Amino acid sequence: MLKIYSPEGLQGQQPLQLAPAPAALAGLRLAVLDNRKPNARLLLEQVAHGLAQRAGVCVAAVTAKANAAVACNPELLGQLREQADVILTGSAD
Amino acid sequence: MSTPRAGEGAAEMIDLANDAPEAIFDLFEQRGWGDGLPLVPPTSERVTLMLGGAEPDEILGVIPPRFGVATRRAVAINAVLAGCRPAWLPVLTTAVRALCRDEVNLAGVQATTHPVAPLVIVHGEAVDALGFNAGCGTFGPGTRANATVGRALRLVLLHVGGARPGCGDQSTQGQPSKYSFCIAENAAHSPWEAYHRSRGLDAPSAVTVACCENPHNFHDMESARADRILLKAASALASLGSNNACISQGEIFVALCPEHAATIAADGWSRADVQSFLYERARLPRRVFLEAFDRRRWAPWMQADASDDALLPMTEHADNYRVLVTGGPGKHSCVLPSWGMTRSCTLPLSP
Repeated sequence: MLKIYSPEGLQGQQPLQLAPAPAALAGLRLAVLDNRKPNARLLLEQVAHGLAQRAGVCVAAVTAKANAAVACNPELLGQLREQADVILTGSAD
Repeated sequence: MSTPRAGEGAAEMIDLANDAPEAIFDLFEQRGWGDGLPLVPPTSERVTLMLGGAEPDEILGVIPPRFGVATRRAVAINAVLAGCRPAWLPVLTTAVRALCRDEVNLAGVQATTHPVAPLVIVHGEAVDALGFNAGCGTFGPGTRANATVGRALRLVLLHVGGARPGCGDQSTQGQPSKYSFCIAENAAHSPWEAYHRSRGLDAPSAVTVACCENPHNFHDMESARADRILLKAASALASLGSNNACISQGEIFVALCPEHAATIAADGWSRADVQSFLYERARLPRRVFLEAFDRRRWAPWMQADASDDALLPMTEHADNYRVLVTGGPGKHSCVLPSWGMTRSCTLPLSP
């Protein structure tokens, strides 16, 4: 038996925890954050409208980050926190 | 698994049955580590030798998407795994520092569906002193320094950065250069000043990282004129298939073989002339771009009204063509298109 090092090293940030899912969507404000992949907005808007019809959310904002290859800027995330209770985002090609 | 001993910082130690090649191969396979090739066990003794007395806990950068901390020790562990010699560790640590600079956008490079991989280019005195191959087959196999430094950087990105295919690295198809991608500049056979000096670095040796596609070959066996050779490069570049077609900020590396470079220089052309020529000649009609792409991330001036026949460049200014000489005898050169939303970084080689 011998000992070797793990190749991973330490993590500099703890993995983020997802916010708890709301018990019900009815009456909540929903925002769409388009990541600017070609079909992201098409897909996300359809899901948002489906949630509005079926679950009673209010679509409060539809916006997009600057481009698909970089993280959303903190100012925009701050605005979305003010405008919405739930944010719908994701990737699509 | 065991608690780190004194002198091992916070690095985790793992029990390995024995030093046989199969033991570490199997262990890494079970844990989802490695690049699929055989590995050298990173024992404390080997890692200490690799570090050569340098401060093991110095942080070189934090590597997304796992946000692993790339200490010198963590990099040295991966250098041992890849088969590096201790003398090459500074090349690797300089490459890691460069990759962690903001302009590289490593989070995007690691996670994108594009096949982009970081190319390491070694410049200056270190090329010969450390045994890197800048000559025949520089992009290919056969030289331990090129092979293992390129491989070690990929292992750092896999292990410390968490860029496992399908989980962290979403590259649709990947590309062979994700195994190892390290070359050296052939300054001895270049008619122009060394690349790093052309970028303003006054250092005996330097390391560039450039996140790009695999090399796209172009050949010209017969021309004695600069323009005829470079028209082949322009033809290889003027393609709708590369990200440069719809993202104008991307750099494009142009790796000229010594014979092509000599012919071009004998015509009186400087490196800047090569850049200007490719900028002017690697173009497509505006209507071709418009027919091909609904979304174009172009510089504002490229968005301006123009006739459909106006010829637009593959990148927004001539300096985005990055020209250097590498390789051996023969008349094959290559271009390396970019992922687009990344910039190369050249740093002086430092311990």
